[in-house]
Amino acid sequence: MTTKKLRQYKYDPDTFNRYRQERDYFNFLSGILATMPDSMSQLSKEITDITVERYDQIVRCAEEGKPFVAGYFCAAPEIYEAMGLPWYMIMATPFLAASAPYLTEDIDAAEAMGLGTDWCTACRLSLYYIEAGLTPKPWALIGLIHPCDAGNMLHQAVARNKKWRDVPIFASDPPYFEDQRGIDYYAGELRRMVAFLEEHTGAKLDLDRLREVCRETNKQYEILSEYTQLRRAHPCPHGWGVGGPQAFAATQVFQTGRPRGTRWLQQLYADAEERVKNKTGPVPKERIRYFWFDLLPFGWVFELMPWLEQEWGAVLVMEMFGLQPYTPIDLRNEETIFKGLAKRNLYDSPMIRQARGPADYFASDIARVVKDYDIDLVIWPGHMGHKDGSASTGIMREICQELKVPYIHIGLDLFDKRYTTPEECKDKLSKFFSAMGLG
Amino acid sequence: MQATKPRAVLCEAPPGKGESELSTKVKSKALQEFQEATQMLVNPALQRWKDQGGRVIGCYCSYVPEEVITAAGFVPFRMRGTGSTGTDMADTCVSSINCSFIRHSLDLGLRGEYSFLDGVVWVNSCDHVRRIYDHWKRKIDTPYLRLISLPKKVDEPQVEWFREEVSLFRESMKDHFGIFVSDERLWKAIKLHNETRRLQRQLYELRKRKNPPITGAETLAVMVAGTAMPREEYNKLLKELVDELSQSSAGHSDHRARIMLIGGILDDPAYIEVIESQGGLVVTDSMCFGTRIMWKDIDEKEKDPVTALARYYIADRPSCARMFGDQPRRSAFIKDMICEFNVDGVIAERLVMCDNWTGEQFMTGEDLKEAGIPYIRLDRDYINVGAGQLRTRVQAFLEMMGR
Ligand code: SF4
Ligand code: SF4
Repeated sequence: MTTKKLRQYKYDPDTFNRYRQERDYFNFLSGILATMPDSMSQLSKEITDITVERYDQIVRCAEEGKPFVAGYFCAAPEIYEAMGLPWYMIMATPFLAASAPYLTEDIDAAEAMGLGTDWCTACRLSLYYIEAGLTPKPWALIGLIHPCDAGNMLHQAVARNKKWRDVPIFASDPPYFEDQRGIDYYAGELRRMVAFLEEHTGAKLDLDRLREVCRETNKQYEILSEYTQLRRAHPCPHGWGVGGPQAFAATQVFQTGRPRGTRWLQQLYADAEERVKNKTGPVPKERIRYFWFDLLPFGWVFELMPWLEQEWGAVLVMEMFGLQPYTPIDLRNEETIFKGLAKRNLYDSPMIRQARGPADYFASDIARVVKDYDIDLVIWPGHMGHKDGSASTGIMREICQELKVPYIHIGLDLFDKRYTTPEECKDKLSKFFSAMGLG
Repeated sequence: MQATKPRAVLCEAPPGKGESELSTKVKSKALQEFQEATQMLVNPALQRWKDQGGRVIGCYCSYVPEEVITAAGFVPFRMRGTGSTGTDMADTCVSSINCSFIRHSLDLGLRGEYSFLDGVVWVNSCDHVRRIYDHWKRKIDTPYLRLISLPKKVDEPQVEWFREEVSLFRESMKDHFGIFVSDERLWKAIKLHNETRRLQRQLYELRKRKNPPITGAETLAVMVAGTAMPREEYNKLLKELVDELSQSSAGHSDHRARIMLIGGILDDPAYIEVIESQGGLVVTDSMCFGTRIMWKDIDEKEKDPVTALARYYIADRPSCARMFGDQPRRSAFIKDMICEFNVDGVIAERLVMCDNWTGEQFMTGEDLKEAGIPYIRLDRDYINVGAGQLRTRVQAFLEMMGR
């Protein structure tokens, strides 16, 4: 790897404290999980440990002046992995640091910066962390200009931010419809992304290594697909606590194409299989099987999801990030690999799949999940950032009416519990369950 | 916010020097016609066109390559929510976190107020507008619907992608309406639309005067009418107006400050009237119904008209907030306008819930702060001007500028 002509930032020990705090927070969670011997806690512990390791790796790179980048789960992490580039997401806190204690304080600080109140909180937080020097400055940034306007504007604002103005940025342009022409175009964008990363990090992409990574990811998605089939069982073997979100973290963030991630998925599968055999679910009696059609409310997840299980016997059977439509990548040659990556990252990846293009996926995903998973209730949380999704609420309601399954649109902020408080959510859900005769 | 004189900071020499004090407004028949056209969906000229069997195609965004529609012999009509009084029907489709423009325009569509259209064309402008396409497709019986996939970057691969999109659009017009838009027809339409742009720029030139002969509210009416009338007729009227104003020495001298307005869809002159009633004369803008659609021409020297269109829409015209990588150029455009039009302060407006303009307002604010330009951000609703609050905010802004 050559670092000739490459810019390196002077390491400032006072920067990215929030990132370090986050690592410590995950470490703390891991410690708690270590005291819980049940299989689900142990599955969560392994994912938490994997997460901490990545945080440590990024911190080390920053301290030692080694290249690392910022990227996204849906911007071909297979490529960063194949290039040997450690990476993190500038949206890591809102997406991963579930219920971190400083979240509310940071949201207020973002507002004070002049970012308003109706721009997705995840975006406002990320911009605030950069402005406040709380997040590590990468050698290069892969931005995201889809699926939403909020993300596009975030990355434009990051590009003009005084502190990060010297960080080179690239974002692949997303075509709107799903067709072969779109795949070809996006594959071209990914190739341009590779050239950009090579130029700014000195790392090179080796095709054989990329093939190896993609081969392993194909295995991972195959196991994930089998695992999601197990969630069709009655009772559902796992609830909100383990499953989709962690599998997402393994396959698309921390263990993309790595055997350790594959092993974790095998353990997840084995645990679910055992439970299906024993007819064990996350609650003693499963009374409601629901589809949570979004990210989990990571800012306050512990204040809502356990209550749904305990109070209503309501089990999260499927959610947006566990939904598994992944097409294996054809490994024959460079062209097939890039086209496969284009399809996977643009048309299969969660949230990107539903929100980027026409609203048809909102309807077709609901139809598929309701039928395949014997769903009693579809919850559209209505995150304040998901303007396109909330603009599709009528379409979702109508498909649910056709399928004769209740549909509820809550209207909340996945990260800020003051927008609609957990108590208000519970009240709304309780009234709805009662009115629908659920539970 | 500072009371700095922007010209002193940004510009080498203040323009408009040596012009005479002007004090009266021009009364123009053409202007009246334009103003009427903004107050209704189907203006008399458009009605006449329809009566003669002419076709009209709705366009949901200024990135729809209207020239293709004109070349087919139809009138492109920019979608609005004019005349809407509520959003009850739209609210069964979308939600309260969606912008009021799309809620009102969809509501009108659901109520049949857009039944005069022969087709509607979208680009994926924003998360709100692109969903209207999904609802329209499911609920409203308009014969021809199309969404053109608009890139979010402004580089060569994106020009090429859009070139193909424009070609596919042209083909779909042929498939649906049986009209082949030949290159020759396309060049003719491009020239016609460039003529509109040239006339509109001439109108803006007059606003550089110390005492502009036309207000910001009146100018907005001129611009809106241009998206709702048969093109030749509009150009003729506009030429009349420009001639009248050019020859007149009347102008607005009773203002406290020269204002630049920036933002997304603003089609209601009443909003600007409130700003101007406080003494803030709007002399230029960066708006969808403003400079962004006419400051540049489509290159008539390009060999292929489809490539000329693609290059214009993606790379050449002043871009919208949604175009990634182009913010520095947008910011430079605003600063150029400030100098050219001798602007004292900038007002940025956005519709509540609009992420594109939230982000853009924030970035522009930071840039103008660095440049020492007085700047204020205002939120608004599409239908309700909110005159009381607007007046107070504008007054405070002018006072803060020391005006
Ligand atoms: S609005 Fe949704 S898709 Fe966009 S940044 Fe926020 S969480 Fe992500
Ligand atoms: S105002 Fe904003 S949200 Fe509304 S249509 Fe325009 S860009 Fe979209």
